[in-house]
Order: sequence, then structure tokens, then C-alpha cells
Amino acid sequence: MSEAVIDLRNVRVVAGRRTILAVDALSVAPGEFVAVIGPNGAGKSTLLKTVLGLQRAAGTVRVLGQAVGDVGPGAVARLRRRIGYVPQVLAGRSELPLTLREVVAIGRTGTAGLGRRLRADDWRRVDDWLARLGLAALATQAYGDLSGGEQRKGLIAKAMVQDPEILLLDEPTANLDLAWRERIVETLDTLFADVHATVVLVCHDLEVIPSCGERLVVLEAGRVTAEGSPAKVLVPERVAGLYGANLEVLHRGGRYTVVPRQGGAA
Amino acid sequence: MSVDLGFWAPVLVAGALAGASTGLLGVTIIGMRIPFLGVCVAHAALAGAVFGSLAGLTGQWLLVPALAAALATALALGLSNPQTLRADVNVVMGLLFSLTMGLAFLGIGLFDRFGRSANEALGLLWGSLTFCGWRDVAVMAPLTAVEVAFVLVFYKEMRAILFSREHAAAAGVRVTLVWSAFLVLASAVLTVNFKIVGGLMIYSLLANPAAAAFQLVRGYGRALALAVAIGTVSGVGGFLIALAARLPTGATIVILSSALVAVAAVVARVRGRVRRHTAWPGPSADR
Repeated sequence: MSEAVIDLRNVRVVAGRRTILAVDALSVAPGEFVAVIGPNGAGKSTLLKTVLGLQRAAGTVRVLGQAVGDVGPGAVARLRRRIGYVPQVLAGRSELPLTLREVVAIGRTGTAGLGRRLRADDWRRVDDWLARLGLAALATQAYGDLSGGEQRKGLIAKAMVQDPEILLLDEPTANLDLAWRERIVETLDTLFADVHATVVLVCHDLEVIPSCGERLVVLEAGRVTAEGSPAKVLVPERVAGLYGANLEVLHRGGRYTVVPRQGGAA
Repeated sequence: MSVDLGFWAPVLVAGALAGASTGLLGVTIIGMRIPFLGVCVAHAALAGAVFGSLAGLTGQWLLVPALAAALATALALGLSNPQTLRADVNVVMGLLFSLTMGLAFLGIGLFDRFGRSANEALGLLWGSLTFCGWRDVAVMAPLTAVEVAFVLVFYKEMRAILFSREHAAAAGVRVTLVWSAFLVLASAVLTVNFKIVGGLMIYSLLANPAAAAFQLVRGYGRALALAVAIGTVSGVGGFLIALAARLPTGATIVILSSALVAVAAVVARVRGRVRRHTAWPGPSADR
């Protein structure tokens, strides 16, 4: 097996007196699509920020062969340019004058080099990804004027213009309606098939995991409590622990959903 | 009415430079919702000037400790990690503001003990555009040129930081480096402007041109250009109106720049209404 692109050993993140992440060992192989599930406060977002070096952590975090905590700010910046990150929180402020095209271009800003202008090729990539994600008509709109789903797709485009070797997605469908959720999931499925990047998707709901999600990691109270294929992880006892005793997981067309158990309590 | 151009020409140029330089800063400072930065830097500069005055410095030399204190505050702000401190940048500014204000008042309280007057140090916050000379313009002009050069060189980095420091850092932008450099430059520009044209005018030129530009245009470059233009028009236009109507200069500039925000808001509303009546339901209509 080739070397893991993400490798965490004895990683601890402490906030105040509370340990919010305690991962003894977690690896992601090149080209894998890993979905990290768990309840609120399980440490899922912290896990992604730790991988990016945005969150200080004790232990060893190796990403793309580099130990994140042991390198200087320049090396960390260079490493981050190889990782696309779609954060959970949207930064769209109503007064912000930036257009969607300018926000997507942030993905090329680090790669282009400090103090250098974006080249025609950078803008071509920006326009390509806007078109691929169906956002071309909105390119010159103010980012703050777009709907939540459009902003979320814009952030995915921002991550993709980096040509990332790893894509980290933090609840990319949070607060979106069903139609937008499905559009985003479909986009992720297509991206994974087209780009072959390693993807780590953090989510609450199983419905968000696209059919390409071949490995699940369950995070509870900062600890990895289970990992493996969905069939191995989503056993009735664990589903009951995660979602409630009266629920069961259905598997349809490569996707998963949680529904009330037939004949269960009302 | 005869106008003594020899006297008023540097005032006019200083008004234009103050409007342009603070208008340029305002796009980032207002866009990032940290207008308190101006007040924070002003009190840090005041504390520096007070202790410089206590140490025996006078005249233009007071700018040296004032600048040093403003730069130190800006660097503390730029290098502080909100995550480690578990405090938002506005909270950190509040802490620094109260600390520097406390230091300034402590220093002012010591003047009596040394038998000196605090007037010169206090004058740092209360400069007046009316008394600007070519010597002041000679300080403002190169600093404005450096500011313009900085924004041109780090245009794309500043655009990314304006969107979100975390997003920019996650995309591999050298945020701490560029942001700290910007804060240092902003403190220098603000401190010099406080000393030369006065705090009230600078606070308004920091906020109003950017706020007006955000109402009217989309795109970082356009917002920068329009904020500079509105700042310059406020500085020069306010001065000319004050001169013609024999009104206080600073107050007239402040009121003109505030009026321009109101005009921009009205234009934006009217334009939005016209667009709603004429536009087809575009791709965003399903939001």
C-alpha cells in the first residue's frame, strides 16, 4: 500500500480543560473517499483544522509526507496550497464588495506566489470551475448576494481551483434544503470520479455521503469509535447509539439514509 | 473674495492625501468590520506621545514614540491568534484600547509631577487641516505612495484576507505576514493623519468612503478606486465648501463625507428597484 496522505498519531487538542480531539491513530490512503460522521461537538471540524495546521495539536500530524507541526509558516502555506478546504462557516457578509469570481480566485492566490498577480491561466481555471459547477452566470454577482447553496458551491469551486491533492469538506450541505443538498452531493460524486483527489468529508447525516464514500470514520467525544466500510460500521447497535434505538439505516443506490424502524415506537 | 493660494495650496493637497489614504485603508478596515482599529491606534499613539513628551521630546519628534506605540499595538493585534487567545479580533482591540488609554492617562497624570504641560502631546489627536503646511505634505505624500504601492503589490492577498483570514490562510496565503504588514502601514498612516489633520476627520474618512463605495460597486478593485475617489472628493470638496462658506474645515469634511454615504445609499436603493422592475428572474431566483 502506498504511503498515507494523512496520518495522525496520538493527536490531542485541548481547549481549556476539555480534550476536544484525542485520536490515537488515523490514516487516509491516496485516492480514498473518507466520510467522518458523529454528533455535534464530536471534534469533526477540529479534525480537519488540525490536518490543515489551523488548529494547534499535540502529537504527530503528517500530511502529504510533511509533519505539519514541525515546519515553518512558509512550508505550512505551501502545504495548504495542495489541500482544498471547504469550511462549515460561510464568510459572506452583506456589505462585502467581492464578486463570486474573486472569491473563487482566492484558491489561486497562494499558488500564484506572494506579491505576484494572477496570470491568465489562473483566471482560466477559475472560469472553468465556475462553469463546471454551473456558476458561470453568477460570476460577477456579489458573493454576499448569493443564496446559501450558491455560496457553498462557490467555496467548493474555490477549493477545486487549487488543483488539490486532498479535499477537506466540512458539512458542505449544512442548512441547505433537500434540492440543494442533492445538487452538492451529486457534485461531490462527479468531482471524485473526475479528479481522483483524496477526499475527507465531515457530516452529521448519512444522506450527505455520496455513493463513492467507501470508508466511514465515527468520531464521538473527540475519539474514533469505529472505522471501516459503511456495511461494517453501520451495524444496528452503533446506529442505535448514534441516532436512537427506533431508527434504522437503509441502503439504496449506493447512498444511505436513516429512517424510523418499521413497527418501532411512534 | 481673494484666496491666498500660497497658504491654502498645502491645505488642499493635505486634504486630498488624507481622503485618499484613509479611503484606501477603509475598504479593508470597514470590510473586515474593525473600524475600532482607528480609535485603538489613536490612543496607542497618544500614549507614545505622552511618554515621549515626559522624556523631553518636543515638536515633530513626538511622532517617533507615537508611531512606535501605534506600530507595537498594530503588531500585537496582527500577531495575536484569536484561537489561542479565545477572543475575537474586536475583543483584542478592546483590550489594547483600554490598556493604551490607561497608559496615556497615567502619563498625563505625571505631567504635573514633572512641572510640564501635556498640551503638545494631546495635540496629536487634535491636529487641524487648516494649519497644514508643505512640511506636513512632505510626510503625508511618501507615506500615501507607500500605501498605494503596498495595495498594488499585495492586491490579491489583501482581497483574500478581506474575504476571510481563515479562508485565505487555508488556501496557503501568507496571512500573518501580509496582515501584520498592513496593520503596521495602517498605524503609520493613521498616526501621521491624526497629528496633521485631526482625529475626527480621520475617523470619518476611514469609514464613510468605504461604506459609500460598498453601496455602489461590486469588485475589490472598483471598491478601492471609488473609496479613494470619495475620500479625495470629501477632503478637497469639504475644504472648498468650508473656505467659501467660512465654516469649520474638519466638521464640513465630516458632514460632506457622511452626506455622500447617504447619497450612495439612495442611489443603490433606486438602482435596486429599477433592476427588480426590469430584470428577468435570474439563476439566483431559487434561493
